[in-house]
Amino acid sequence: MLNIKTTVVGAVSALMMTTAAAVAGPYDDYAGTTLVVNFPAHPHYDAVMKVLPEFTKETGIKVEVDQLQYLKMREKQTLELTKNKGDYDLIAYVVFSKADYVYADQLENLARYFMNPKLSDPAYDAADLVEGYVGNIGVSGGEKGYLPGPTGSLFGLPFGSETSILGYRQDIFDKHGLKVPTTYEELLDVACQIPQLEPGMGGLASRAASGHDASHAFLLHLAPLGGRIFDDNWNPIMNNAEGVAAAETLKTIVDCGTEGAATFGFAEAAASFLQGTSAMYLDSTVFAGQVNDPAKSKVVGKVAWAPHPVGMRAGSQTGGFGIGIPRNAQNKDAAFLLMQWLTSKKADKMIALAGGNPSRYSTHADEDVNAKFPYMATFGEALKNADPDWRPIIPVWGKINADLGTTMSQVITEGADIQTALDGVAERTKAIMQDAGYYTWQ
Amino acid sequence: MSIANKANRLTPYVFMAPAAIILAVALLYPIGYMIYASFLDWSPSQRIGEADFVGLRNYINLMHDAAFRESFWVTVKFAAVVVTLEMFIGVGLALLLDRNIKGMSFLRTIFILPMMIAPIVVGLMWRYMYHPTVGIFNRTLKDWGFEGIPWLSDSTWAFVAVVMADVWQWTPFIFILSLAAMQSLPRSALEAAEIDGASEMQKVIHIKLPLMLPVLIVTLMLRLIDAFKVLEVIMVLTNGGPGLSTEIVAMRIFRTAQEFQELGEAAAMSNTLLMVLMALTIGMFAYNKMQEGRAAKMQAMAAKGTA
Repeated sequence: MLNIKTTVVGAVSALMMTTAAAVAGPYDDYAGTTLVVNFPAHPHYDAVMKVLPEFTKETGIKVEVDQLQYLKMREKQTLELTKNKGDYDLIAYVVFSKADYVYADQLENLARYFMNPKLSDPAYDAADLVEGYVGNIGVSGGEKGYLPGPTGSLFGLPFGSETSILGYRQDIFDKHGLKVPTTYEELLDVACQIPQLEPGMGGLASRAASGHDASHAFLLHLAPLGGRIFDDNWNPIMNNAEGVAAAETLKTIVDCGTEGAATFGFAEAAASFLQGTSAMYLDSTVFAGQVNDPAKSKVVGKVAWAPHPVGMRAGSQTGGFGIGIPRNAQNKDAAFLLMQWLTSKKADKMIALAGGNPSRYSTHADEDVNAKFPYMATFGEALKNADPDWRPIIPVWGKINADLGTTMSQVITEGADIQTALDGVAERTKAIMQDAGYYTWQ
Repeated sequence: MSIANKANRLTPYVFMAPAAIILAVALLYPIGYMIYASFLDWSPSQRIGEADFVGLRNYINLMHDAAFRESFWVTVKFAAVVVTLEMFIGVGLALLLDRNIKGMSFLRTIFILPMMIAPIVVGLMWRYMYHPTVGIFNRTLKDWGFEGIPWLSDSTWAFVAVVMADVWQWTPFIFILSLAAMQSLPRSALEAAEIDGASEMQKVIHIKLPLMLPVLIVTLMLRLIDAFKVLEVIMVLTNGGPGLSTEIVAMRIFRTAQEFQELGEAAAMSNTLLMVLMALTIGMFAYNKMQEGRAAKMQAMAAKGTA
């Protein structure tokens, strides 16, 4: 009798377990796991922090976040990634770290996760991710080594990425009947008209400080004006006619800018626009969230947005952050689930509503998101022209970037001859590339 | 030799051992590490063992690196200017304030305040004061009817600006050390001079300054070493710009390691800086020793004369 009872109970419980396994969610195996992730202190990631509890509620996977200032983050990651067993399961990285991490074999190739039917969500819709972002931040190994192409593969997903956008003072433009610039010619024209129309106000707030800022500002104009840093054989060509035009553009913008514009960093340029001392702003979309925040801005409700003006081609910047799984992570599968969840349509929208930068076209076009942030649709339009190759992502870029930045600063503040200055950069860049072995095959 | 005798001879070494061990671990090991790293082509993504040995290549690259040479020149210029100004103002202030005035101790505390502020804060404070529109300098100039000065956006003015901030912060250091030195001077010499009818100026030039010289030389050296390594204030104020006009070697080293990710070259730069500072220090100690030797000789001669 007892035996029969045991058998029946055993059979029933076995049946129940099988049924449970059949309907088990993809997250069940990982419930209770604690993931350690490294995120930067950045408006997008502040929004992510508000959404993360939802992930834990849905999946049972706990997330511990180590949020660091983004330069500090790089230092810490460099140490973490060289350890045998890393502490981080998922990291956010700045786009130019991609080259270093992938080259040093420190990031997981994501192919084997997307191939795994137990991990990969069929409803993920990767085609909806902004193509320029994926190419710029996620893919390596294709064209030129750092771009997508037939030999490329995926090492990260864009998360907290940004592009460039033109913000302008609707009230000032209306007052003087100015046309919103769509081309570079119109942009320069308006930028230099404004100081005359509105005494004390600068045209366009631009970064120009020596180093990374000046280099960034130059590159911002170089791609739309038809230039590049290298040709297809890695020969520096930033000193050609397009390069000179980009430098002249930057100089004109700074000359027609507000007082002190020659040493503006990102924060100063943004502050100048927010304080109402500049009529336009052409830089990262990450800044848009602050414009209507009365605590930070004196121009609440006065700003409208337009796509990055077109030169010889339309080309807005791509940058910001991506997320990837370190090779030495200890919970890689669960980390993938988190990464997939964070960049899913649902979470992308939740993060956008909390003030983050969406990574998907659908979120940019979403009604609810646009009701809260009316500029999002314009950003989505601008993203169609996002240029993943506006700046090279190679390990020696830091050095070239610094040289370009100090030289641009000399052009802006000391009136150095543009052609001579860029010829100097090209010559030094050639030597750096030679040292790094880029001409081995020539 | 008996065992007790042996133990006696070993005793000083046993007492010195903890200090020697700490010195070896905390000082020699990192320096050795840095010297070794300067011969490597080492990126932060690699462990030190994985880096390629490149011999003297980093040092040879430095010789040909125009930006490094420029930053070296900027550093020498900066150190020479700030230390000279600080020595004059600091010693001058000490001479002025070496007397019994009411509330002197309060004043002295006020004078050394700048030294106690974190360099990053000093940088930020001055950055706002130099601000082209809302900064106090340009606002005052404009109120008086002058043109504003492009403090941080013109290469010459930017250099002046960082010099001013450094002088403001570090003059108190010289002041406080000179004041201490002055107050410990033998009163007998000063009283003798007074009896001989020496004027205040003569007392300063012939008695106070020569007697303070050993302290002043050490102070000068400490400041010089510090001025060669200054980083934070300049980083916040100008980040080395405009162009390379305020990029001192410490800033260059920081950028080489942080932005260019070339730890080997950064180590080579640090070693070069270390060697220059060592040469300066040894030179100054040698000069001090020579002076002391001369003084001792003169004293001996004087003693012979009176005998």
